[in-house]
Amino acid sequence: MTERKDWWKWLLGLWILAVVWAAFFYAPTARGFKGESARIVFFHVPQAWVAVLAFCVNLVASLRYLRRHDALDDARAAAAARLGLVFCILATVTGSLFAHVMWNSFWNWDPREISIAILLLVYAAYFALREAIADEERRASLSAAYAVLAFVTMPFLVFVVPRIYFSLHPDTIINTKGSMDMESRMFQVLMASLMGFTGLFVWLYTLDVRAARIALARRRRQED
Amino acid sequence: MRASSLLSEGLAVLRKEITSELRSRVALNAIVLFAVTTLVTVAYQIGPYRIHEDDRPHLLSALLWIILFFAAMSGLSRVFVKEEDARTGKTLRLAARPGAVLLGKLLFNLMLTLALETVVVPLYCGLMGLAVRSPGGLALLLLGGGVALSASATIVAAIIARASGSGTLFTILSVPLILPLLVILIQGTGAAVTADGLSPVLPALRAIVSLAGVTLVASFYLFPVVWND
Repeated sequence: MTERKDWWKWLLGLWILAVVWAAFFYAPTARGFKGESARIVFFHVPQAWVAVLAFCVNLVASLRYLRRHDALDDARAAAAARLGLVFCILATVTGSLFAHVMWNSFWNWDPREISIAILLLVYAAYFALREAIADEERRASLSAAYAVLAFVTMPFLVFVVPRIYFSLHPDTIINTKGSMDMESRMFQVLMASLMGFTGLFVWLYTLDVRAARIALARRRRQED
Repeated sequence: MRASSLLSEGLAVLRKEITSELRSRVALNAIVLFAVTTLVTVAYQIGPYRIHEDDRPHLLSALLWIILFFAAMSGLSRVFVKEEDARTGKTLRLAARPGAVLLGKLLFNLMLTLALETVVVPLYCGLMGLAVRSPGGLALLLLGGGVALSASATIVAAIIARASGSGTLFTILSVPLILPLLVILIQGTGAAVTADGLSPVLPALRAIVSLAGVTLVASFYLFPVVWND
């Protein structure tokens, strides 16, 4: 029964392996970048996407908590934030490696670097707030409120600030003219990688939520 | 009828805040003294002539908003923390609706921020030799920035007052929320220093008004949860 349910995890593993192979052997070398440095896009962009996706899941779970006051929704929000923090760190590290190869500096205070750094600060602040509150219900409602508040300021950081300042960052996948400027094989690999990373996020997220559900059930049984 | 009674309740909370602040003057003293001390240190160490002419608009704008931001951070959290310290929060919950409490506290923090800007900005311009080519643009930025800063600081103050009341936590939670605002304000102030008229500061103003708007809407939606949890 369990094995039948797990088939998609095997498929996901094979899919990610195929993406890794395609990133190095199927996609062509990008023009205008030093050496093979542009291949990092197949891992960096999906990591940044998952960080933002986790932020959105965190928002939805937080809003659900504010409406229903269900401890499991708080666990969902925390799980999404934890994974978001991990993928945010990975996106920052891979972005820094690319910056070092391209511009000989790990950090250039580029607007997009600032955006990801502030996203990291938001996640860190979210966990600092959770750590500061001992009472579980209060922790859940205050951290949900902070998550919603942080989410409404993020569009300014991601969309407004990079357009006010000059940016070294290559054009985003969908550029400011609303069109896509990427070679088709590179685009296929990127899309496959985005799907693979999203699947990985779903897997890790459901694992974390299942663990939280078991911990909650055990605590309720002890209380009874 | 409902809106006007909420406004009158909010103004009553504001009057209570002003009376309470005039008795102790803790927040006002903290904010103004922090700002003046920092300003004197910056002016003494950097002064009007140590920055290259080309770098002056951006660097002086950044320094101005750093002083204003950290000075505001030193006092704006008091508005809710003092209710928890004095154990007057329960009485206030019985006396006024959450929306009115937030409105009153927000207006009080806005008054403090505008007072801070009124004291610091002319002093800063004088001590640092900062000539502003668009004073109207700068005034609008200070007003919009004051509203956005107060809105963010007030709701974060409400959260930390219910958490631990720690000033460090207030800064940790506020910085990620206020940083985009600071970046836009610094850019806008740089434009007000270098160019005449309102048009150069309009992009920054639009972004600030939008940011203040969404923060205010989110604050009024979230405050009952934070206040009554």
